[in-house]
Amino acid sequence: MSIKAKRQERSPAEGMTDSLRQEKARRGAEQLQGFPRRDFLKASGFLVAGAAVGCSRGPAPEAIPLLEGSPEMVPGQSNWYASTCGACSAACGAVVRSRDGRPLKLEGNSLHALSRGGLCAVGQASLLELYDSQRLPQPLWKGEATALRDIDPRIEGALNSGAGRAIRLLTETIHSPSELAAITRFGERFEDFRHVVYDPLSCSAILDAHAETHGSRVLPHYRFEAAEVVVSFDADFLATWISPVEFTAGYSAARDLSGDPPRMSYHLQFESRVSLTGSNADQRVTVHPAEQTTWMSHLAAELAHRSSEAIEPPFAVAGPVPPPVAAAAERLWQARGHALVVCGSQDLEAQILCNLLNHLLDGYGRCLDLEHPSQQKQGSDKALAELRQELAEGQVEALLIRGVNPVYDLPGGEEWAELIARVPLSVSFSQSLDETASVAGAVCPEPHFLADWRDAEPVLGMFSLTQPLVRHLGQARGFASSLLAWSGDPHSELEWLQETWKRQVWGSEGSGEEAEAEVPGSPDSDSSDSGFRAFWDRALHDGFTRVERAALTPGSFDPAVLTALNEDGAGHSSGDSSGDSLSLLLYPKAGMLDGRHAHNGWLQELPDPVSKVSWDNYACLSPAAASRLGIEEGDLVRISGSDGDQDLVLPTFLQPGQHDAVVAVAVGYGRAGTDRFADVGPVWVEGQPTVEEGGTVGVRAAGWLNRRGGELETVVHGVKVELAGGHQQLAKSQVYNDLEVPEKLRAADGHPRPIVQQASLAAYRADRTAGTPHGHFPEANLWPDFAAGKHHWGMAIDLTACTGCSACVIACQVENNIPVVGRDEVRRRRDLYWMRIDRYYSQDGDDLQVSHQPMLCHHCDNAPCESVCPVLATVHSEEGLNQQVYNRCVGTRYCANNCPLKVRRFNWFEYSREDATANLVLNPDVTVRSRGVMEKCSFCVQRIQEAKISAGSRGEELAAGAVETACQQSCPAGAIVFGDLANPDSEIVKSVADPRHYRLFEELNIQPSVGYQRLIRNQPSHDQPSHDQPSHDRQEEEEGHVDSHA
Amino acid sequence: MRSRILTLILATGIALASLALLPRAAEMRGPGNNQGYEPVQPVAYSHRLHAGELQIDCQYCHSGAQRSRYAGIPSADVCMNCHRFIKAPRSQVRAEELAAEAQGRDPEKVVSPELAKLYQALALDESLLPVAGGEPQPIQWERIHQLPDFVYFDHRPHLAADVRCQKCHGPIETMERVRQMESLSMGWCIDCHRDPFGKGKNAATPVASTDCVSCHY
Repeated sequence: MSIKAKRQERSPAEGMTDSLRQEKARRGAEQLQGFPRRDFLKASGFLVAGAAVGCSRGPAPEAIPLLEGSPEMVPGQSNWYASTCGACSAACGAVVRSRDGRPLKLEGNSLHALSRGGLCAVGQASLLELYDSQRLPQPLWKGEATALRDIDPRIEGALNSGAGRAIRLLTETIHSPSELAAITRFGERFEDFRHVVYDPLSCSAILDAHAETHGSRVLPHYRFEAAEVVVSFDADFLATWISPVEFTAGYSAARDLSGDPPRMSYHLQFESRVSLTGSNADQRVTVHPAEQTTWMSHLAAELAHRSSEAIEPPFAVAGPVPPPVAAAAERLWQARGHALVVCGSQDLEAQILCNLLNHLLDGYGRCLDLEHPSQQKQGSDKALAELRQELAEGQVEALLIRGVNPVYDLPGGEEWAELIARVPLSVSFSQSLDETASVAGAVCPEPHFLADWRDAEPVLGMFSLTQPLVRHLGQARGFASSLLAWSGDPHSELEWLQETWKRQVWGSEGSGEEAEAEVPGSPDSDSSDSGFRAFWDRALHDGFTRVERAALTPGSFDPAVLTALNEDGAGHSSGDSSGDSLSLLLYPKAGMLDGRHAHNGWLQELPDPVSKVSWDNYACLSPAAASRLGIEEGDLVRISGSDGDQDLVLPTFLQPGQHDAVVAVAVGYGRAGTDRFADVGPVWVEGQPTVEEGGTVGVRAAGWLNRRGGELETVVHGVKVELAGGHQQLAKSQVYNDLEVPEKLRAADGHPRPIVQQASLAAYRADRTAGTPHGHFPEANLWPDFAAGKHHWGMAIDLTACTGCSACVIACQVENNIPVVGRDEVRRRRDLYWMRIDRYYSQDGDDLQVSHQPMLCHHCDNAPCESVCPVLATVHSEEGLNQQVYNRCVGTRYCANNCPLKVRRFNWFEYSREDATANLVLNPDVTVRSRGVMEKCSFCVQRIQEAKISAGSRGEELAAGAVETACQQSCPAGAIVFGDLANPDSEIVKSVADPRHYRLFEELNIQPSVGYQRLIRNQPSHDQPSHDQPSHDRQEEEEGHVDSHA
Repeated sequence: MRSRILTLILATGIALASLALLPRAAEMRGPGNNQGYEPVQPVAYSHRLHAGELQIDCQYCHSGAQRSRYAGIPSADVCMNCHRFIKAPRSQVRAEELAAEAQGRDPEKVVSPELAKLYQALALDESLLPVAGGEPQPIQWERIHQLPDFVYFDHRPHLAADVRCQKCHGPIETMERVRQMESLSMGWCIDCHRDPFGKGKNAATPVASTDCVSCHY
């Protein structure tokens, strides 16, 4: 209607052509019957031509200004607010970009003392869940939608209907002071209230082990930056274990080659599958999970020999010491005081041994902090077992469930569903109707963390704040507020948060730096109020505050535990790694974790950093085991156990480097409701749905977690793997992204120039250019050399620092509106990532070596793509950018064919969808590409423009480091450097001058603006493949040496 | 045969239509070109009065131009900075005062009907007190200058380079109702970017890049 009214405002000429067109169209339709096809086409051709002449863009939509302006909110201007990531319990520091009233991007907070500027893939992708149109819009009571004001009296009434009733609160780890205070306030009203905590990705064994050895149930705060030698037993600390961003930052700080002498920690990984962490290790040793405890005992015995302490290591193991253990013991002992042993197992004995190892190595205090422990995992599998018992006995009158999904993520899920349904009052706080919420009597959805006031204390004394950037979408209410409302003490989220902080964080010890001048203990006085105000404002601005809290005083290592262990350790598990039976290892996949983000398309499509498979979980088998069983990749296999668990039927994936007697399966798949991805991606004749209607993405494996000795363990021994019949092609991206140097470009010595150039630390110490391949290539050029204008943008990626964690991939996806294409399209080599991470294997003896190489458009100054475009849709800018102009592109795809780096992506379909809520996540500063155009990395040109414009409007020159690309910002390891090659002050100029710097395809003389820093592994030099190895670097005496303190 | 006749008829029709439109050929524009667009606005705000006669700086109201991509349309509270006090043209107020004096009564409140719309939007009555139960409703202005989706124009660098508003928006200070003066086409942009302010006119020639990614990304 309004459109019509507006049309009348147009000039009469336009009005006439409009009505003419309509009239013609009407007549055309009337004549359609009995009208020859050719004539019809001809007529419609004229009509289209006529319409094109007369057509004019419709009037613009109305411009609606605010009623009341705010100096903070200028339309079109982005603001960044410090906050805390709520995607997992690690609680990394984040800054959130908000424009026109909606959050658009999460990035790491570079001030933050723990995460130090990085943010993982999961954290960044959690933004998508804010705009999930399938979130619960309002509370549910017995499955019926209702309002908060109606549900509150019902819940309150049910809670207070009798004295002495057992009320249980089941949550994931909560380290938020305000939520804990609300739980206390809520709980003290009931005689029988208990708060039970479990983590789907449990670290319960580490906590229980410390309870035994150190007398307090705490999780140490691991400090990888202090460790010169790291030995990890199956702990995937760079990808999924406790706090991966912080650990990656610390790990890469300990591997800083820029110093003189270069500092590089030594990392040894004992593991049975190939984890991301293992793929980065200087040495990877494949061990069966059942042998790990034995090997740890050997290691403990070796260290105890060297130690002056009279400690009898447990499980006096017979047999020879495995050689890798002996070598590890020597390295660890050399570095004692700066050595760290971590263990990802859920076996209590293994964790006690791990504590013994760290005790022998004098790691407590330096590499493991027990005085300011981590609070990121506090779950107790034993308490969970007790709760389950109570539920089974029908003693629980009310069960409140927050942040966990027991029906999905615990073994015996269906039984949990029955138990929960039997509880008279069960309340879930889930944001969506997940497996547990759908059996709970009431659901009170809490808002997404970007729409809520929250706080966190991930490590003792380290307080973080989360501020809301958008109003609650729908009727949601924060967890603490809900509890308080039901305690008859209603508070808004902010009031309660400030009250708690006033009480607990600020005044109580008088230790906040701003608080020193104030007199604590007089919270009512004005001066104290303004003191708190200043403290609060500062904390809110920075997103966190560090308060010197009274440190815990844990006991020291108690050797008596070992004697006890020795006594009951007689029946110590020794898995049968021979014969037909295999051990099933359940692991969290980077990006998918425990499955809480399974509804996030970005994370589902993110390829696993090692297997490069997206959209599914699969049974990983080593190639040897697969050939023994007669299985090929993609074959469906049935995994069955002896104790009657439901069989798993999964496609096979062959993983070189995995233990032959292990089958590994990722948890976090098979979530209910993932059939929402049935229509993701394009719809066309040959298209295959990503998931069948009513099906799920992947298969739920959590049912196989098993309870031995109180902890929920991730290893199941004695499973059988057999062909189930059928085949399923996995969506693997690596197969088609591999870069290979063609035969004709081989150097004079017959070897190709390696794509990933690498060298050993020993060789690098002798010669900083170690790893440079031989051979020079003529720099013939058909075109005049490129002369950059005022700026010349370039990037350098440090392959030594890069762990392959894929945070940059998601960062790029969020920043640049990259669509999700679906499983079938990934199989058809049509993913649209502008930034990908290539993974290469190299075999070094028995050990698998893995290299990760981030790959993006290299913005070559002699770009092969530019010279073949017939319509000049890709041309070079004055600043050295390889520009892609979508409006000019006609989709010949010549450029993609001529790109040696395979980084150009073609829009085969229209991927954008009409979903008003979900489309709010799109970055308004980047075009949403339509069908038929080529696209690729733009070096985040929107950020370059913004930086140039804002410097220009302040009348300043563009400062070095003023432009940060999305991938660079997110990298937890700081591996990516971007900047202006024409500015001598910029970081990038230093990186290019580094002797480790090299460029790809120099033999093609493409002059890329992206370069790499060679991959250095902390290995003796003879480990290197011969063609990478300069002749003068054999320094085997370096072996065993630990590069220490700069 | 029949098809040939049909073709002929259609071709003749188009030819005749073109002939009929020939006198207006000068007004014909390419697709997407809204040059000359001059819609009626919900409030008859006069740029001639405010920018021309009263010489209020453009950026007093369009303050986004120096901070953001968009110059923006002022929020209603910016209008209220003045119109809290000025509720009608001075001449009308004066006339009422004179009339009241002549009739020996107190002057009545004079509120211009256009400003009444502003107060209504803010749910205020003529004494600027909140209307009971009133719901503030932002004014829905008709947008005039609209660039295509795939171009990213930014006001800030143009302001920094001292490009006068009138260069693109025309003699806005003379317009009673705003009209799009220029075509805002890419060719029109590039003309200026190739030769900002003419050659050698300015000692520090502003950098006006003609790279595609200056505007398209």
